[in-house]
Order: sequence, then structure tokens, then C-alpha cells
Amino acid sequence: MNNKYQILPFRFVRFNDSEYLLTNDVGEYIFLTNDDFEKFINKDLDTSSTIFQDIASKQIATTDNVNDVVKMLATKFRTKKSILRDFTCLHMVVPTLRCNSSCIYCQVARKNIDDHEADMTKKTAKNVVKTIFQSPSPYIKIEFQGGDPSTYFEMVKFIIEEAEWQNLFKKRELGFVICTNVTLLTPGMVKYLKKHKCEISTSLDGPKELHNINRPLQDTIHTHEKFEENIRMIRKICGDNSVSALMTTSKYSLGHFKEIIDEYVRMGYNNIFLRALNPYGFAKQYKEKIAYPIEDFINNYIEGLDYIIDLNKNGTFFIEGYAALLLKRILTPFATGFVDLQSPAGVGIAGAIYDWDGNVYVADEGRMLARFNDFYFKLGNVNEDSYQSMFNGEKLHNIIKNACTECLPMCSECVYNPYCGADPVRNYSEQGDMVGHRPTSDMCKKNTAIIHHLFELLKKHDPEINRIFWSWIN
Amino acid sequence: MDTITFPITLIDKNKLLVKIDLRIYAKESVNAACYKFTNKFFVNQQISSESESVINVIFESKNEENISEETIKSFCNELIDQQVRYNTNLQFGHIRDLIVEEAFKPVNQ
Repeated sequence: MNNKYQILPFRFVRFNDSEYLLTNDVGEYIFLTNDDFEKFINKDLDTSSTIFQDIASKQIATTDNVNDVVKMLATKFRTKKSILRDFTCLHMVVPTLRCNSSCIYCQVARKNIDDHEADMTKKTAKNVVKTIFQSPSPYIKIEFQGGDPSTYFEMVKFIIEEAEWQNLFKKRELGFVICTNVTLLTPGMVKYLKKHKCEISTSLDGPKELHNINRPLQDTIHTHEKFEENIRMIRKICGDNSVSALMTTSKYSLGHFKEIIDEYVRMGYNNIFLRALNPYGFAKQYKEKIAYPIEDFINNYIEGLDYIIDLNKNGTFFIEGYAALLLKRILTPFATGFVDLQSPAGVGIAGAIYDWDGNVYVADEGRMLARFNDFYFKLGNVNEDSYQSMFNGEKLHNIIKNACTECLPMCSECVYNPYCGADPVRNYSEQGDMVGHRPTSDMCKKNTAIIHHLFELLKKHDPEINRIFWSWIN
Repeated sequence: MDTITFPITLIDKNKLLVKIDLRIYAKESVNAACYKFTNKFFVNQQISSESESVINVIFESKNEENISEETIKSFCNELIDQQVRYNTNLQFGHIRDLIVEEAFKPVNQ
């Protein structure tokens, strides 16, 4: 028996009573029986055996020259981390805090529709755009957040046109997104957005009763009707796939994921992103009222995912966005940028938010903490600070140092590390520091449970499920 | 002569002591295993006054509940897993460093 081999870097977990799951830094994975695992780590596997060949094919061990394998793994690792190459490309801008909704989980200190106190000035807007274009990224996406940016559409137009003007000289790949409840959008506004290639992103929390509980408008009880009417209007002008939608899970959503998914299908969507409640802003203040144990979300998520898989089996193409993102990380060598789940974290280096007053935060959640007078994640102000001082300053360096899962306690050894990410803002908000404490982290519980479930599904080797998963990531 | 290498002593209904032999487990492994249990327990580690090759780990339940046998068995398994990680990392830790260095070489240039 030839058992001379070099074990390459890997992480593992006892996946169930009889098997271990092994992964490596570039996302390759393999299941080993307890017996094979023991033989493997003790270097008792025959290198001519099928199981060793499988392990070697995943580059978790090798009989070749280690330097050659290092070069190959380095290339794969660089590809996985290629999202770092472009630096900040997502720039979220808050033209105003005014809003005509009263969402029960609202994360910002919204203003009434006629209260102009928190409207961005033109001077600040110009400086925001100027700062954005100092980013070295060849891709610039400006995303309008709020309040509801449609309440100050003139400022949205001003920023779009200012950015387009700047881009005549900077020549970046420029795109826009407006995040809105769509109820104030008029055909004229929509035509303007279409002309300027501004995507529309909205929120749909489920069927009428649930949507109206979670996201009531201030001036009518017919929130869902108004929402649906305007979605129809937008689609008529911009096309069937012109409005993407996000859902948020409140306490009232639990137990209703099937109905929520059905509502998305009824409304003509072919995807959903089953999203847990954000622990910031009002959600944190009124936690008892609308929040829930993360285990409840996990159970609902898994039921929802299984229901979506059944929908696909029965001929309805429908994607669960979070699973699709994770599956792309598990099944392909490609990089997947997702600000909320990457390592190093995307805060500041992948996305940043510019508040109505010119304050710049590393993430939207940093802005929300500032509403409660915690400015830890403020990088500076576009009217006072240079791009260099904000995006290459000590503060951002320090945040990023604490945002690499490869170095964080427990994350560094976690078998799901290659697919997961760090969130220093959330750690800080929920646990008091940026490093966080994984044994009590809800984010960790959620991600490990969901990734574990995906691996259970992959392990079934069910051709139909595999076909569905591949259809989601292609 | 060594007797039992993994003695467990119940100190109180919600508090127990585990003696860990450092000839079997590295301090790093013990610490990493303990860390995973800090969600449910206050954990204290100290070198035994009787022998420098023994670490006394005291688990105290945070919610005053009794500590189950299942928990201690999980801890024992976790210790083994952590020691495997420690041992294998000794074999490939430097390779991981080489991979990262090679991957980001273009940035340094």
C-alpha cells in the first residue's frame, strides 16, 4: 500500500453520526465516513484508492509536488476573492428620510412626508457624487435608499444627472437603483427612471393581510391594492421583470412562508429572498413586539425552501435567492459579491452609504446605529472629509481587520467558512464588539443551519434537486 | 502511574470540573473546545496545583440548570476534534500561508 501523501489545508465537522464533511479555502467539499476520515488524517489511506483520488481531486491532499498545488490553489483562492479587486462599487444614497409608510420594523427615524428637515441639499448631493466617483471601481452602482426616495424625486433626478455628467469624464460602468414602496411613483417618474436605466427595487412581505400589517401606508388602509396597482403600471412601462422585490420576516410572517411564496408567484415573480428581521432601528427598540428567536426563522426558512423546491419539481421555475447565493459558492469556483456575507466583510470596501446630511457610513446598519447616537461606523462627511481620509483611513482599516472570517474565533475553523462571511456592524450592534461571539450569535446560528441544510440536500444526490439547484445558479 | 485521564467531578448541581491531560491535548485545543461552550456555561480554566500537565476546567451553567451527561460527552468529542485540527494544522498551516501569499502576490507587486 502506498500511503505517502501531503494533507492540504482543510476544515471539517462531524456532519452526522456516521460522516464528516471536509471543505477547503476554495470551497471544494467532500463527505467521508468516520472510518475513512480517521484513516485520512492518520495518513493510512491508500493513494491508489478511489476515496483518496476523490480527496485529491478536491485538492485536500496531494501526492504531487506541493509547490505546484499551491499555485493552483492560489489561483482559485484569488478568483474567490476577486470581489476585492474593484473596491467600493455599491454606493447607497439617502436623498431624504421622508416616507409615506409606517413599516413595523422600520430601521430609520423616518420623517413625515411634509417634514423637509432631513432632505439632502444640492451642495451635499454634489459632494456625494464627487466622492463616489473617486472610488477606483470600474463599476459604480448608486442605490437610492430612504425614507422613501420617491418622496424627494427631484433630488433623485439631480443625483442621477450629476452622476451621468461626472461619468462623461470618468467613464465607469454606471447604474442606478431606487428602493421604494412604489406607491408614490407616477407614470412620469417611471418613464424618467426607465430613460435613465434606473432599476426599481421594492418590498413585498406577502399576501394582502400580512403585507398590510408589516408595511402599512400612512394615509390609506389599501396598501396592498395601491402597491399592486403601481407594480402593474411600472411593468406596463418598463417590462415584466422591471421591479425586483425583497421580503422581511416579522413575527407575523412566521408560519406563513408558503403563503408568502405563493403571493410572489401570483404577482409574477420567479424569485424570493427569504430574509430574517434586521436587529437594528425600531426593530431592536420594539424587539418583543415584532422579533422572534432565530430558530423560528430557521425552521420557517427550511420549510419555505423545501416548498420552493417542490414548486420547481412541479414545473414552476422559482428561485430562493439566499440559497442560490450559497449554492453558487458551494458548487462553483466563481466569486460572489454580497455585502452582507463576505470575507473580508463588504463594509466600506464593497458598499458604503451616504446619508442625507453627507455623513458616510460603512453600511446601512451603521447609519441606523447613528440614529441612536452611536457613530462608530461613520467614516466622515462628504462636505468636510476627503475620500482618502474616509476610505483609506485608520477607522476603515481597523474595521476590516476585524472582519475576516479567516481570523475570527470559531469562524477560522468552521467548515462553512468558505461560504460564509463576517459582519462587524451586526456583531457590534448585537454583541458589543466587532469580533463578536459566535457561540451566542444569531447570525452564526442562521448561516450554519441554512448551509448545513443545503449540504444535506446535496448529499442526497437527488438528480431532480441537483438540476433545480444548477438552474438557480446558471 | 496514571489512572483515569479524563476525570469529571460534580462540584454543585450546576457546576462541574473536568481534568484534562495536557499530554493528550494541546492548550490551544482545550481553549478552542471551551470557547464553543461559552454560550451556555461560564468556563474557567486553570493549571492544576497537583500537576502542570493537567488543566482543570470548571463549567458553571449560566441558567442554573443541571449539566447533562450529553453536554460533557459533546465536550469530550469537541476536544478530540480540536486536537485533530491542531495536529493537522501543524502539517498544513504553512501551506495555507503560502497559498494566501501566492494568491495576493500580484497586489504586492
